[in-house]
Amino acid sequence: MTCDGHSLRHNALVYGSADEYVARSVAFLREGLAAGEGAIVANTRPGLAALREALGPDAAAVTFVDVSEAYTRPARTLAAYHAVYAGQLQKTPSLRAVADVQFGPDPGEWDLWTGYEAVFNRSFGHLPAWVLCTYNMNGLPDPVLEGVWRTHPEVLAGDAWHTSEHYEDANLVLRRITPEPVPLPGLRPMPFGRDLEEFRERLASEAVRDGTTHARVLDLLLAATEVATNAVAFGGGVEEVRVGRAGGRFVCEIVDRGGGFDDPSAGYLAPRNGSGAGLWVARQLTWQIDFFRSPDGFTARIWL
Amino acid sequence: MSRAERLTRDQERDLVIAAEAGDPAACRELVEAFLPAIGGLARRFPGGIGVERQELVQEGVAGLLFAARRYDSGLGTPFWAYASFWVRKAMQELVAELTRPVALSDRAVRGLAHMRTARTDHLRIHGTEPTLAELSRATGLTPAQLESLRALERTPRGIEQPLEAHGEAAATVGDAIVDPLAEQAYDQVLDDLEIRAVHDSVGRLAERERVVIEAHYGLGRPAQTLKEIGGSLGLTAERARQIEAGALSKLREALARPAPDGRLASEGPAAY
Repeated sequence: MTCDGHSLRHNALVYGSADEYVARSVAFLREGLAAGEGAIVANTRPGLAALREALGPDAAAVTFVDVSEAYTRPARTLAAYHAVYAGQLQKTPSLRAVADVQFGPDPGEWDLWTGYEAVFNRSFGHLPAWVLCTYNMNGLPDPVLEGVWRTHPEVLAGDAWHTSEHYEDANLVLRRITPEPVPLPGLRPMPFGRDLEEFRERLASEAVRDGTTHARVLDLLLAATEVATNAVAFGGGVEEVRVGRAGGRFVCEIVDRGGGFDDPSAGYLAPRNGSGAGLWVARQLTWQIDFFRSPDGFTARIWL
Repeated sequence: MSRAERLTRDQERDLVIAAEAGDPAACRELVEAFLPAIGGLARRFPGGIGVERQELVQEGVAGLLFAARRYDSGLGTPFWAYASFWVRKAMQELVAELTRPVALSDRAVRGLAHMRTARTDHLRIHGTEPTLAELSRATGLTPAQLESLRALERTPRGIEQPLEAHGEAAATVGDAIVDPLAEQAYDQVLDDLEIRAVHDSVGRLAERERVVIEAHYGLGRPAQTLKEIGGSLGLTAERARQIEAGALSKLREALARPAPDGRLASEGPAAY
């Protein structure tokens, strides 16, 4: 198997031991280096050290990336990887990467990172990259390992590549794992104002009054501006704005008059020619953004 | 009863969310609340492995703050039940790094740890990889020394491996270090956090842009009109509006493009 040099190949390696992880990763990367591709290893420090040692002199041509603190929220992790891949692709026409996803201990968040793996296929679909995500079959829970086959079209397991029969479109996975939004009765209405500038002023005032730190107010203003700009440009205008605290976070709901969209990947696609970066920016700056239709209209709910 | 145990679930949630948002006071309070628990995990590591208690605690603090950035209070998991995994993981990775079998001078090992801590702190505070110059400023090491340290790569060794240090049988760190020293380590960690105060996004703009944004939106001061801001800067209101629009645009564009240095930032956007 080879990378076609034009688009993403997003595969998984399910390994049974540290030795297997090292041996298969090194073989994968060396094959790419021999073909003139860039090579990236993303893992925590011990994993990086093991691969660096095994690669020997070849390590000099490999970019090692410590991901110890990178996996906070999927949108931020995607943005971080995008930066690394874009940097590498300035030096080589294509790249190979071995990446270790950091699933945490809480079963409640496994779906979140499975969703991240699913949307990775769309987010970087345009990049000439072959990414091998690594999963320890002896160290990860079954639901996570089952998710591997839903989010990677091809999986290297045992001694062979397997085409996954369970692979699903990213949006299908995202829809399944996204809970139905519930009303937030504690929010209060906020007049939108004459234009985006007045909207930002009012929103800043509400957020400051609510005790939001200054740095986060600016994040909110940037994110809400992107969402409100979409509502004005494509949603027939802003119908209603609601703000307040919910679940300990500052929340801003922007309801527009349009039909909305039905794309759970919205805001997760890395910037590329022909696509806007507004929601990509907004997702990076916030905890979560939900898009849903309600009796009031198409709603964007921003959780700071 | 520890401070963490005295927090109600709502207080704990609000504290974690404020820390996730980068509020330095909340970070400090969160660390103070969970420091006894972090220290408890640090004491479980075997002694005589060349890793000091303070280093384990500091790494544990970094793990705690990472957990805060990732913790979803909506799932209902008690914070420590969630965060302890990341605290222990961070400590384990430090031990693996510092107990590699290739012999290094003690000075080099400490230099590596110092460099790694400075890098972690920079990532946590700025969300970007530090440059060599920034690392140099933070550690007091020269760029050449840092380059040499970066080149040092050896194989990790499992923490369960029997170890001896200085000819003495391994003992637990907790056996060797009494509580007052732990408190001292804790204070040093907090001082470090305090010194490296969290810089907000606006702080990365040019001075005039920062003044306009902060003044217009009332960040840390009463909000002013663009006319008032322009007056204080010797500009027209329209010019102040243009500066503000340019600053917002600059922030947005920086977020949409990849980082110039191609490093993986811990916190999304690589640089403003």
